[in-house]
Amino acid sequence: MNARHALPPLALLAALLLGWEAAAAAGWLTPIRFPPPSRLATSFRELALEGFPFGAFLSTHVVATLRRVLAGYLIAVALAVPLGLLIGASPLLDRMASPVVAFGRSIATLSLLPLALVWFGTEEAPKVFLIGFGCFWVMLSNVIAAIKLVDPVLLRAARSMDTPPRDIFLRVMLPAALPRIAAGARMALGMGFVVIVGAEMIGTSIGLGALIMEARTFYRSDITMVGMACIGAIGFALTALLGLLEVRLMPWRRGRQT
Amino acid sequence: MAPPLRARLAASPALAGALGVALLLLAWEVAARLLWRDPATLPAPSEAVLVALRLLTPGEIAMHVLISLGRILAGFTLAAVAGITLGVLCGRVAAVERLLRPFVEAFRPVPPLAWIPIAIVWFGLGEASKVFVIFLGAFFPIWTSAWRGAALVPQVLLDSARSMEVRGPALLLRVVLPAALPDIAVGLRVALGLSFGVLVAAELIAAERGMGRLVMQARELGQMGVAIFAIFLIGIVSLLADQQLSAIIRRSVGRWRPV
Amino acid sequence: MTQGAAIDVLGVAKRFATDPPGAPAVLGGVDLSIGANEFVALVGRSGCGKTTLLNIIAGLETASAGEVRVGGTRVTGPGGGKGVVFQQNALFPWLTAARNIAFAARNRGLDAAAAAALAAELLRLVGLDGAAAKYPCELSGGMQQRVAIARALALDPAILLMDEPFGALDEITRTEMQEELLRVWEARRKTVVFVTHSITEALLLADRIIVLAPRPGRIVLELRPGLPRPRRRSEPTLARLHEQIWDALRDDHAATRA
Repeated sequence: MNARHALPPLALLAALLLGWEAAAAAGWLTPIRFPPPSRLATSFRELALEGFPFGAFLSTHVVATLRRVLAGYLIAVALAVPLGLLIGASPLLDRMASPVVAFGRSIATLSLLPLALVWFGTEEAPKVFLIGFGCFWVMLSNVIAAIKLVDPVLLRAARSMDTPPRDIFLRVMLPAALPRIAAGARMALGMGFVVIVGAEMIGTSIGLGALIMEARTFYRSDITMVGMACIGAIGFALTALLGLLEVRLMPWRRGRQT
Repeated sequence: MAPPLRARLAASPALAGALGVALLLLAWEVAARLLWRDPATLPAPSEAVLVALRLLTPGEIAMHVLISLGRILAGFTLAAVAGITLGVLCGRVAAVERLLRPFVEAFRPVPPLAWIPIAIVWFGLGEASKVFVIFLGAFFPIWTSAWRGAALVPQVLLDSARSMEVRGPALLLRVVLPAALPDIAVGLRVALGLSFGVLVAAELIAAERGMGRLVMQARELGQMGVAIFAIFLIGIVSLLADQQLSAIIRRSVGRWRPV
Repeated sequence: MTQGAAIDVLGVAKRFATDPPGAPAVLGGVDLSIGANEFVALVGRSGCGKTTLLNIIAGLETASAGEVRVGGTRVTGPGGGKGVVFQQNALFPWLTAARNIAFAARNRGLDAAAAAALAAELLRLVGLDGAAAKYPCELSGGMQQRVAIARALALDPAILLMDEPFGALDEITRTEMQEELLRVWEARRKTVVFVTHSITEALLLADRIIVLAPRPGRIVLELRPGLPRPRRRSEPTLARLHEQIWDALRDDHAATRA
């Protein structure tokens, strides 16, 4: 996007912020419902330097949330990829698993909250479990689909060259399925961020999700909004990071739109 | 002689699927009754259903389901209308895309559940805030798919339309929208799934009824059986809703685009 | 029914904004007069500008210099009695064959009943009465192109512009379609501009053949087979003309590469 194209949205953004600030100053918008941008900036500084609740700095919240999301996500990926490869490569297993996978995806992750509490207590484990559960089914269904959708022409070509079965799997099927697996990895990460806010509703005041909810009980919608912006920024950054990783891993797809 | 099991499973995906589900339930049943033996932490599936049916009347269950479905339908429909309209505009009208896209992209990574406190402040504790949160969960996948679908309409279709003097709003409505429908359909299914995912959280907002409320109530009363029943209930209703939607898609889009 | 109109191409040149300076133009000032109800074929190798010229006549692209007149009126955009048949997949896949044709008919102001009647009539003309309720994906490539021709005719155009309409078809279907097109053209006389890269196809169909060469796109040869239709492929005259066109293409290629 060049400078000329960036101008209209920037102008709109500036106008919105100015209008918001002016409307708040004039008393048309109540600060609890629409805390003005200047207030949000102050709240951000407060959160970073003094913390909210007092002593829980922004960095503390960010690190706690990141740790939970990444732990749950990585466990889910580590379990789902091998399982998905296995199921995807075996038509019989795939048929047997398909209603289970469809149902697993349909389960609302947060409805597992009571089970997570009973099974894992109220510390880190239930949160990691919920995030892992949510990511797992997204990842699993994508890995299965990725293997199933490999172009049969590629497999026939490999067989015609007398490729041993092991190499067909590792050197043909896997690379051919990689783009879809990578797309699944990105979707699963998104799911992790959907779940985290709910997972942090339980037994903690540390973490961005907890911060967002906690601020409500103190009527601090300004803190909630700052927290939302932070969690959005982290989600955005991690997704971008995964995108970069994809480009490194799959040089043959460079220059293609994903 | 009956054909071997393996061949029969290969011939019928439904049979294989039923077998897969049955095996899993059986394993759970056995594990819960013989190994774990503590219904307070892990009830067997049969126990969960029996307990739930003892504590809840069918009428109550139906009421929870219908109330949740009503909220989802409201949020999802609003998201579909807004997402398709804005998505198609962004995909085809450069000025709209330049203006709107940065804003949509900025809000997209914010998890829908993070809006709950704001939703309460803006809309109160009633239905509107629940519908709003479901709307946010469903909007982004629909918007993205409509935008992609509209942006990727084959040039030859647009040229055909131009050679027949179709332009402006008619072009969007009669050519771009139908051409983008296969993509939009994918987005709608993802969005419906997410609506159910967000539902439980939305019903944490001081709901007195609904399937999500049922889960939380079971938690407060320590009724693990009811909790598991409710989890399955949400899953099954969500699955049925998805099948209904995909049947509608097959009947409409599937007629002209084999899937 | 509208009769064919004359087409005048006056000094049409085309350069794309993205072309590097100094690169030869796609079209370097082409002059061409096509009489009413004449069937003209544009032949040349890829990149000679034949499709660009067709698109400029259709009003789908604008010329960098010069102008096109159809029936004495300057072309400023698509529509207005210019029917276009594209290479393939240009039917609206979500409409049945009959509705695709009716779509065009409605666009020139017919009411629903009249459009449906016209669609039925045109389907009969192209020999597809039975396929009215079929979607494009249920039709073979040849049948799709018959519908595409019927759709262009439904606009009641004064000129019919065809951009390699049979280019994606197999040899057998292609031959059938060439005969079919001549039959339809006998029934509904129009001015036809027919782009093809098949010299044989041009020789079998056209009153006049225009041979184009690239860099810059220009006319290098014009000839009239002057034979009655249907023409036989084994006709000695056609073989001689074929050699003549091929020589022109080859000589030009050698000259520009040297």
